Amino acid sequence: MDRRNFFKTTGAVLAGASGAASLPVLSSCTSEPARAEESVLSGKRWGMVIDLRKCKPGCTACMDACREENNVAYHGDQRWDIHWLRKVQIRPEDETVAGEEKAVLLMCNHCDEPPCAQVCPVQATYKREDGIVLVDHHRCIGCRYCMIACPYNARFFNYKETEEWPNKDYPKRSHGVAESCHFCAHRLDQGGRPACVEACEAVGAGALVFGNLEDPDSEVSRLVAEGSVKRIRDDLGTEPKVYYLGL
Amino acid sequence: MKLSTLLTRENRGRVASVLGGLILLPFVLSLVGAPFTGEEEMPGVFLEQPDPQYENCVRDAEYMRFQHMDLLKDTREQVIREGVKGGITLAGCGDCHRNREAFCDRCHAAVTLNLDCWGCHYYPETAAERIAARNGR
Repeated sequence: MDRRNFFKTTGAVLAGASGAASLPVLSSCTSEPARAEESVLSGKRWGMVIDLRKCKPGCTACMDACREENNVAYHGDQRWDIHWLRKVQIRPEDETVAGEEKAVLLMCNHCDEPPCAQVCPVQATYKREDGIVLVDHHRCIGCRYCMIACPYNARFFNYKETEEWPNKDYPKRSHGVAESCHFCAHRLDQGGRPACVEACEAVGAGALVFGNLEDPDSEVSRLVAEGSVKRIRDDLGTEPKVYYLGL
Repeated sequence: MKLSTLLTRENRGRVASVLGGLILLPFVLSLVGAPFTGEEEMPGVFLEQPDPQYENCVRDAEYMRFQHMDLLKDTREQVIREGVKGGITLAGCGDCHRNREAFCDRCHAAVTLNLDCWGCHYYPETAAERIAARNGR
């Protein structure tokens, strides 16, 4: 055996041996620990369809309900106010083109690929198993990366605390943390529906349809499957779960 | 000074007993002092108004005294990250321990721990005043 072949064969033998030896170690590292029970969040993927044709002009029922339910800070000052839901007026950019002005309800789109969660340096923002993008306010350090990353401007920062506390069953946010809509996750976990959806039904508009996108029989799945829904900035690949009808 | 001058044959026993006494001193003191420390210095049982729907606290008193923070943090992770609701809540503590000043704040103030819980979570009685005070500062 010449020198070259000697190195080739010993190298191959050594590589094979080390590979075989490391295999069980690697596989034991990567295997998932067995979950004792099925998570309460599995089998769900919450989404919302907003029918702008049914949305009443000038109506603020959803926004008011959201404030009441989630103790969203309202100081009466533009700099500090927080809007989990907000209505903006849109009109055609080119003024010569005929087009009506309409109000669009904007909120956290609960992206499947949330940029806010990707940039969060402390994993305070994260996507829960049921697709809701949440902020763990205990972990949030207030760096505001998520506000910059969010293409929908759905994130807001608590520059100061509010003293108003309409819903004592739900916590407020301290100053120095970011927040956004969470689809009323605390209500969903108890089998309820988001406060804005109930409020919209209460005023008789029924513009907000909420449900499980995993369930093919749910109304949201049916509306999405019809194909006339649009998503905001669909080109970004964030895969939002808030769909618009009549946008 | 040489060791041999210290430890003469006569005082060897005395030195040994002094050393032994020093070593045993902490144990002796703890035995002697046992009746005088302990429960009296703890601010008592904080059951201001036991709720009749609960028989006991969520854990025994010894666990709660030293590990309530672990319990709260673990529960917090479960509730926030995994959506497991219906367990222990901060507001639930207030069902029986109505007076937060006595139940939480007294001990935490004694060990200079600044609790941030009440800026966001509601606890009966004093939470609102604290936030008002903090905002006014």
